[in-house]
Amino acid sequence: MLRADDVTYVHDRGRGRMAVVAKGVSASSAAEGSPAKTSLNTGSTSATPALPGVQDVSVAIERGSVVGILGPNGCGKTTLLRLLAGMLRPEAGTVTLNGTSMASIARAALARSIAVVPQETHLAFDYSVLEIALMGRYPHLGTFELEGPRDVAIAREALAATGTAALEHRLFATLSGGEKQRVVIASALAQQADILLLDEPTASLDLGYQFDIAHLLARLNRERRLTIVVATHDLNFAAGLCGSLVMMSEGRVVAAGATGDTLTSMSIQALYGVVADVYPHHAAGHLTVVPLRRIRRD
Amino acid sequence: MTDVRRRLAVSMLVFGSLAFLAVIGAPLLGTTPIRLARVFDRSIPFADNVDAQIFFIARLPRALAGALVGATLAAAGVVFQALLRNPLATPFTLGVSAGAALGAMLAITWRLHLSLWGVSAVTAASFIGSLCAVGIVYAMARARHRGFSTNILLLAGVTLNSFFSALILFVQYLADSAEALRTMRWLMGDLDIAGYGPLLAALPLCTVAFVAFAWLPRALNLLSLDTDAAASRGVNVLRVQRVAFFSASMATGAAVSLGGPIGFIGIIIPHLVRLMVGADHRIVLPASALFGAAFLVAADVVARTAMAPVELPVGIITALIGGPFFLWLLVRQR
Amino acid sequence: MKLGAGGWGLGTGGWALGASLTLATVVLLAGGHAASPLAQQHAPLRIVSLVPSATEMLFAMGAGPRVVAVSSYDHFPPEVERLPRIGALVDPDVERILSLRPDLVIAYSSQTDFLAQLERASIPVYVYRHGSLADITVGMRDLGIRVGLAEQARAAASAIDRGLADIRTRLAGKRRPRTMLVIGREPQSLRAINVSGGYGFLHDLLDLAGGDNLFAGVKRESMMVATETILARAPEVIIELHYSDRASSDTAAREREAWNLLPGLPAVKKGRVYLLYGGELVVPGPRVVLTAQAFARALHPDVLPH
Repeated sequence: MLRADDVTYVHDRGRGRMAVVAKGVSASSAAEGSPAKTSLNTGSTSATPALPGVQDVSVAIERGSVVGILGPNGCGKTTLLRLLAGMLRPEAGTVTLNGTSMASIARAALARSIAVVPQETHLAFDYSVLEIALMGRYPHLGTFELEGPRDVAIAREALAATGTAALEHRLFATLSGGEKQRVVIASALAQQADILLLDEPTASLDLGYQFDIAHLLARLNRERRLTIVVATHDLNFAAGLCGSLVMMSEGRVVAAGATGDTLTSMSIQALYGVVADVYPHHAAGHLTVVPLRRIRRD
Repeated sequence: MTDVRRRLAVSMLVFGSLAFLAVIGAPLLGTTPIRLARVFDRSIPFADNVDAQIFFIARLPRALAGALVGATLAAAGVVFQALLRNPLATPFTLGVSAGAALGAMLAITWRLHLSLWGVSAVTAASFIGSLCAVGIVYAMARARHRGFSTNILLLAGVTLNSFFSALILFVQYLADSAEALRTMRWLMGDLDIAGYGPLLAALPLCTVAFVAFAWLPRALNLLSLDTDAAASRGVNVLRVQRVAFFSASMATGAAVSLGGPIGFIGIIIPHLVRLMVGADHRIVLPASALFGAAFLVAADVVARTAMAPVELPVGIITALIGGPFFLWLLVRQR
Repeated sequence: MKLGAGGWGLGTGGWALGASLTLATVVLLAGGHAASPLAQQHAPLRIVSLVPSATEMLFAMGAGPRVVAVSSYDHFPPEVERLPRIGALVDPDVERILSLRPDLVIAYSSQTDFLAQLERASIPVYVYRHGSLADITVGMRDLGIRVGLAEQARAAASAIDRGLADIRTRLAGKRRPRTMLVIGREPQSLRAINVSGGYGFLHDLLDLAGGDNLFAGVKRESMMVATETILARAPEVIIELHYSDRASSDTAAREREAWNLLPGLPAVKKGRVYLLYGGELVVPGPRVVLTAQAFARALHPDVLPH
């Protein structure tokens, strides 16, 4: 379980900003909401394979910004993301959204504010694309209410926003990887939440689809003022998309701030043990990372 | 009207009519011809009116039991498939029916002669057996996680199934020939309840289960996507899993205690219904319940007329239909 | 004929020897169609019986002391309770049987593997075949010859035949009520009712005792019937068999009351539901006369009072 001494989403009304501030979070791991402990505080690890813990995290996310969470495997990206989504409860301390403790917000209300796009989606049954999109509307429906025409319109609009409107009647299982990811994003959009959290959205996509997703997210951020938080270890993707970065290593935040400030050869070397060249690419229009060689870390 | 509302309405109409026709029609069918006019002729005292006796004592309770058991097993099948995220799951996967069977075997072999509230010892013992199985599986699933791991649930259920099946074989082996025959026949399913007692005993629990089933479908849609996806859309995953597990297990226990472990209903019906109406549980669950009721009632009519006056166990009919059905499913999947 | 005075000694001894040999030859010739050559050398003295009805037959013909082991289901006569048990139809304990060094094993014809094992061990077997009522006495005589007690067996079998014939003649010409012979059901309910069809010794006994088997048309020994069928066929008498010792009167009364679920049956209306208890009901052996009498008392109480 995560111990969050101070994790808050702060809506700074004065300046129209919404910030996520997570300070002094000490965490033990959690998998599926269960207490298998890996406490990094004490340095002990249980034998169960669990998500890595998170500790002393300090993150600031502005409303309407696109933030990338970077770090090597096992650094706690997914754990932090799930904490931000409210899927994990802190052992001690509180997580707040707009000044309200997230623990006191009903799940459905939370779902109307925060939408999550998981890394992969495996369906057990043959749902159609429109059905998947409509599932994003569930937080807005009463217990026994079925979706109405307005819900269908919103879902269709979300599909259109991700360029998948033509696939509406196809079975989800028959789509390509990129199409699937875009449909899942559409489903998250249909939730009409202000905040979109994505866990490794390009992990299983080829270069072309990576472009598509990056452009889609950028466009959504521009047109809808969505706050987007992306956990990824694709540095170039993050460099191109994200305005600010949070860099994590072994459960701790080692750097946070604007992309230009944080994405440096030094930080990459510290994080990944790779010597890389970081420079603005004149054609791409953003920072690019070119890995050069691997060095041994202790 | 949106698509889902329309499809739900159409499904309820179609499957509801099927179920209704089955329950109304089954008491009229049988090897002994009866006249409806005579059945409802009040002037003849009941004790002398054979047609009425056949209708009200033999056939109607049987049709109603078939409808209840069919609806329950089909709906429980849908819930288990969603819970375990596996279209091959059945109501019997997690060992509930094995527990019920063991209870029934023991009652038959030890020749228990008591009866509680109008249900015979065998029915009561089999229900207790099913409760034990549910408890054991749940305890095993919780032992490793405070949450609810469906993987461990599945493993625990499969393990319990094997273990109980071995015990059942053991008990059968020790039984003498008359009891061994009775245990074998119980295992093949029997809806001839000859009265309303067992039906009324099973009704409360099934009603409670169906109330839960009414609440579950939307959450099941999300669960079958991904537990994280469900949680991020406002579903209390742990609660939904618990409700799904207990309601479906108890309902299965009640159904098996009433009619024996009638197989294939819990898997053919959900599959067929999904082929017809899609994967949305809000439609699949009620449609499966109605279609399951109609199907089992029809199968029971076949069981009691095909080789009359010899009674065929209804479980054999469902198996004879189920086997080829699965072959066909396999073949059409390219 | 009276022999001339010659004293004991060789003359009488010679006569005795000659008479014995003649008798033996006659017996052997008469019983020629019976079992293996080994039997003709000596009568079996250590018999293992897996078939309860065969066990009862052996005791009835006086071969009781020769029985060294019986099946798990043997309960009559009381002497068998002291004997070792060697399994039954599905689980014969071959090792135990071999250790008892039998010179005859009586087994079922369907126990092919078991019979093969005995053959390999060179143990003589007598194969028992389940049959109709008439086959019981035929089988008894045959068994008697096999164990060397042909006369006694014949006498006992004839007594059975006489007993049965007696019942038949006393009930000749009487009206035969439509009877359902229930051989099993779930206690305290009317589920899983098993009845006797038109085959088997129970059906034959019912027929002999003056009853018309409701399901005589179905050529099976037993079958499960639906409530509907029972209602449609409306039996006038219901005889229910329980193979255990008599239960307490409470239990028996409660079981009888289970039939009140079908108040319209003629048998229930007239109170002609009879529950019979006893181990002999399931054994097609010498005690069939008792069973026949029990049936007759139920069917025709005026002729054979309780």
